[in-house]
Amino acid sequence: MEDRTIKEPIRKKWIWIVLAIITLGVVPWYFPDAAAEPYILGFPLWAFISTAFSIIMCGYLSWLCVNEWNIVEDQEEAERAKGDKS
Amino acid sequence: MNDLAFAGTDGIIILSVFAIIMLLIGYLSGRGEKNLHHSLSGYYLAGRNLGFIALFFTLYATQYSGNTIVGYAPTAYRTGFSWIQSISFMTIIIGIYLLFAPRLYVIAKKRNFVTPTDWIDHRFKSKAVTLLSIFLMLWGLGNYLLEQLVAIGQAVSGMTGGTIPYQIAVIVFVAVMLAYEWMGGMKAVAFTDVMQGIVLMIGIIVFLIGGLYLVGGNFSEVTRYVAEMEPAKTAVPPMEVNINWLSMLLLVGLGASIYPHAVQRIYSAQSEKTLKKSFARMAWMPPITTGLVFMVGIIGIMLFPGLDKTGSEQLVGLMANEIAAINPFYYWIMIIFFGGIVAAIISTADSVLLSFSSMLSNDVYGKFINPKASEHKKVMVGKVCGIFAIIFLLWIAWNPPGTLYEIFVLKFELLVQVFPAFVLGLYWKSLSGRAVFWGMLTGAILAGLLTWTGYKTIYGIHGGVLGLGLNFLICIAGTLLAPAVSKNKVLEEDLSAINLKA
Repeated sequence: MEDRTIKEPIRKKWIWIVLAIITLGVVPWYFPDAAAEPYILGFPLWAFISTAFSIIMCGYLSWLCVNEWNIVEDQEEAERAKGDKS
Repeated sequence: MNDLAFAGTDGIIILSVFAIIMLLIGYLSGRGEKNLHHSLSGYYLAGRNLGFIALFFTLYATQYSGNTIVGYAPTAYRTGFSWIQSISFMTIIIGIYLLFAPRLYVIAKKRNFVTPTDWIDHRFKSKAVTLLSIFLMLWGLGNYLLEQLVAIGQAVSGMTGGTIPYQIAVIVFVAVMLAYEWMGGMKAVAFTDVMQGIVLMIGIIVFLIGGLYLVGGNFSEVTRYVAEMEPAKTAVPPMEVNINWLSMLLLVGLGASIYPHAVQRIYSAQSEKTLKKSFARMAWMPPITTGLVFMVGIIGIMLFPGLDKTGSEQLVGLMANEIAAINPFYYWIMIIFFGGIVAAIISTADSVLLSFSSMLSNDVYGKFINPKASEHKKVMVGKVCGIFAIIFLLWIAWNPPGTLYEIFVLKFELLVQVFPAFVLGLYWKSLSGRAVFWGMLTGAILAGLLTWTGYKTIYGIHGGVLGLGLNFLICIAGTLLAPAVSKNKVLEEDLSAINLKA
């Protein structure tokens, strides 16, 4: 990590471990057959939890895009600001 | 959707309005842009200058086609609650983008890439690898385009109650699409996507509201009904379905993210900031797109119980009929919604076609046939070849195959085999071109054979994913046995992350 201002998702292991855990939560392999009930907001229990994990995945990925990805942005924005002035 | 009583003349009016708007946008985006037709990146990548709104909507409208509604609602109808997987497999695409888009964006801008093949060529400098990946990508794109052409015809003739027959519908809309694409290239495609994307989004939401209204406004009632009549559709999925779900995440995630038109949207971004922002918003789209369509399919089980496979394919049309009968407001909204479906199909087809012709002009013509041609000539060749390709595909489309979803899985099987070359190549310096070639070829053959012989899945795992596994294995093993020794300074510079900023 010579250059601390560069943020590239592939270089951080935790990003992918968390994504794998969320994915394992999305696929409903871990439910007993009884998990079809109760219904929550019209979804069977297993489907509700799986959907909740899907939404967590949306939020997580969206957050990663904004916060863990920064390679040339500062440079580009600086150039743009310069370009706007001249 | 062949018996939509609600449409007819009104449908034709709305479709004509949509067509005129698209042509107008195409005309306006091409007007005054002299360089547009004289430069590959100007025509195919909108001058690498797409801002946030255009980039977001072009990503959205391209990724979600009319098929997302017309094909996915029936799938939800047939498979039940396990089809909520459609939320996750559309979301995971963003995760896969994060594996390679950040670095690819920087290199593409620096080296002026126009097509995904430019990267493969730059990376491996191997004719065999380049040709094979061009073939696989064109195959995937061609199949995808074919699927859209079939869908346009079905949607339009459904909407106009058969007043406009299938063939004429396709020809008219393809002509509109070709016209605006000819005038404005990627810029026209992206700007029409803004309109098409908005109509699609609103359409889905209103459709769901209409559906809920028909079943008395209570989704829990629907689930209770389904659980009682067809308990398998609400039950916890068996292990094979779960494996298939996971396999679907891999197939769609890896396949959709390296679609050539998807990669070209990375190239087209105005800046890293716009690209990040667009992806960050895209990550939230699956719940409100495929998620809502899923609910529509489940509601369909209660509204139209007992449809067989062919019958269920008409589900969206059947529901639209019922919803349109509620009152005049819903009637008009349904007509606009069906126009939206057509618009959504066109917005996907135009992007795929543009990408297809960019590969013909920049890769096939520009790399192998006449590398010295001027960019203007290359652009022209791409445009003209694109039209011929469409004519050829139309000829095939007159005999539409099976159900929509089955063609959808088919197109990924081969395309996804380009993934190791594309992504491993970004990070692994000693990855050898020879290993990549044999991996890609073996993977494609295995995937193709499995599909061809009817083994689309084995224990729930798709043939394309099995092929990809073998492909990765050969790439890695081949490279470890005989690593590539590169003396290419330019490549060396691109692959060392520390130099990315320079």
